[in-house]
Amino acid sequence: MSQNEGGAGTPAKDHGVLYIGMDLGTSRTSVSASNGVRETVYSMVGYPKDVVSRKLLKKDVLFGKEALEKRLSLKLYKPLEKGVLKYTGDGSMSDEAKANLKAAQDLIGEAIRLAKPRKDELIYCVIGAPAEASMKNKEAIIEAARAHVDSVMLCSEPFSVAYGLEWLEDVLVIDIGAGTTDLCRMHGTMPEDADQVMYDIAGDAIDAELARLIEKHCPGAQFTIHMIKDIKERWGYVGEPSERAIVELPVDGKPTPFDLTEHVRTACAILIDPIIKGIHKLVASFDPEFQTRLKNRVLLAGGGSMIKGLDTAVEKAMKERLGGGKVIRIEEPIYGGANGALKIAHDMPEEFWEKLK
Amino acid sequence: MSLKDTLKEAVKQMAFKTSLDSLKKKGVQQVSVLGIDRIIALIDEAVHRSLKSRLVGVEREAVADATKAEFLRMLRSNEELQAQKSEVQKLKERAEEEVDQLRRELQSQHQELQIKLDAGDPARASRYEGENAAIAGRVNELFHLLGQSGGAIGLSTVQDKVLELLMEVVAGERKDAEAARKALHDRDVDLLQRRIGKLNESLAHTERRLREVAAMKSLDDGISSVYRDVQGLRADDMQVGRKKELMAEIFKANLQLQKKKSQ
Repeated sequence: MSQNEGGAGTPAKDHGVLYIGMDLGTSRTSVSASNGVRETVYSMVGYPKDVVSRKLLKKDVLFGKEALEKRLSLKLYKPLEKGVLKYTGDGSMSDEAKANLKAAQDLIGEAIRLAKPRKDELIYCVIGAPAEASMKNKEAIIEAARAHVDSVMLCSEPFSVAYGLEWLEDVLVIDIGAGTTDLCRMHGTMPEDADQVMYDIAGDAIDAELARLIEKHCPGAQFTIHMIKDIKERWGYVGEPSERAIVELPVDGKPTPFDLTEHVRTACAILIDPIIKGIHKLVASFDPEFQTRLKNRVLLAGGGSMIKGLDTAVEKAMKERLGGGKVIRIEEPIYGGANGALKIAHDMPEEFWEKLK
Repeated sequence: MSLKDTLKEAVKQMAFKTSLDSLKKKGVQQVSVLGIDRIIALIDEAVHRSLKSRLVGVEREAVADATKAEFLRMLRSNEELQAQKSEVQKLKERAEEEVDQLRRELQSQHQELQIKLDAGDPARASRYEGENAAIAGRVNELFHLLGQSGGAIGLSTVQDKVLELLMEVVAGERKDAEAARKALHDRDVDLLQRRIGKLNESLAHTERRLREVAAMKSLDDGISSVYRDVQGLRADDMQVGRKKELMAEIFKANLQLQKKKSQ
């Protein structure tokens, strides 16, 4: 039962129905709700290290950017890795795994709070879960969400992106997250295992490659992985550069400018090969009559799709290796999954929600 | 205010502001701009067309009136929530000020009490010293007189008796004085302790109120959904059949998952 129900003095849920769509991602968690709220938070959860830091921070738990900024006073957790919870669900769970599970549950609660639900409204939520998530993982997500909503369902992330755009037939969705790049073929029914391919070369892998290149080519430059992520988000591109990526990094305490243009391109380009391999695999195993149509309906989604020139670069590589194709970048990469999940929540019949209460 | 004006006001209220930079950060490259008058006209037109195509005259009017009434009710509900929010906020601030004031007062009373307790002992000691000196003076004076009497009475006997007598008197006086002083002191302490007790009680009461206000804060947390009822697929959706099947499949998978969890 939801915490919003049953308690003494709790208002009756007679005001309306709030639908929430959530994209639970390795890097960001985004929500779209039927009250017009759209929010995103970095998937990071921090707990004060000791009594002193708790008193200073005046909070028991911090999320997202705030947690990142105060990380020196916190035990910081990124509860998702490669698109799934760092949680095995077996009996011999380590303390670290238990802490990550709690962080994931707190993160889901925070995401729902960000949607600003009213106490007197029914809350129905659809969460886009990674296609590769284990049964225990999915159970943990459901359990965490049920503490805050009246009814909850999970669906595959790439599916929710396609559903949100009403592209249900002969479309190939490429969802580039932080932990994984998921490719999913839609053909009018729910995608099965054979319709999905996943690679662990995604945003985090780009960060690692860029860090390696900077370390190798920029002697003395000091940086953290968070600084690398910022550089990628600001300058990330493939193909021809529209401007030089001149970035200041400290060298022995002194800010020093470095030209990272080539390194950023090289790092971002590591996405192209697995994407093309995945497209090839899913196209080649599709009904031959519809292969051309599928190649011409490739959707780029997720935070990674914001890399400048990626759509053109994938199209170019498709032309070379698959004889052509058309790639479309969705308009709102950050909210594509959440918007789709919201649409699924809206379209779900009442009796289904009731049965899952 | 006409319904169009009310709609315009509501759209303005529900809209949120964001900067171009933050949109860019979220990956939005281009935005489509739609004027508020156009939105209102579209809503108005959509409602009228829908009513016209589905309902007959009288029924249409009734549904239109009911819809307007419901819309205005939702608006009022939002306004009430805003008012409640500011009221709760004020209550909270007032209670916090009160708690601060009480804490300061309690602290100053504690300090005052401590000063009085510390001052009590040295004052009493100096008073006893004065009394003792007076007694010794009187005894000396007595012996001086006896010396002058020419030795008619044994000196030591007289000395003992006189001292015994004097000390009895002095002891009695001391006892009375002590009792009087103690009573005075106790009254002060009692008074201060009662005041501290009251302040503690008041502090507890205010803190309780503060907690209640904090709990009420949840009243203002929340934005109304645009939906009053559960929606589901629209009958005129172009892909209604396919979507129904997809919804059923998602539901089936979730039912299995949640059943397994509850077992």
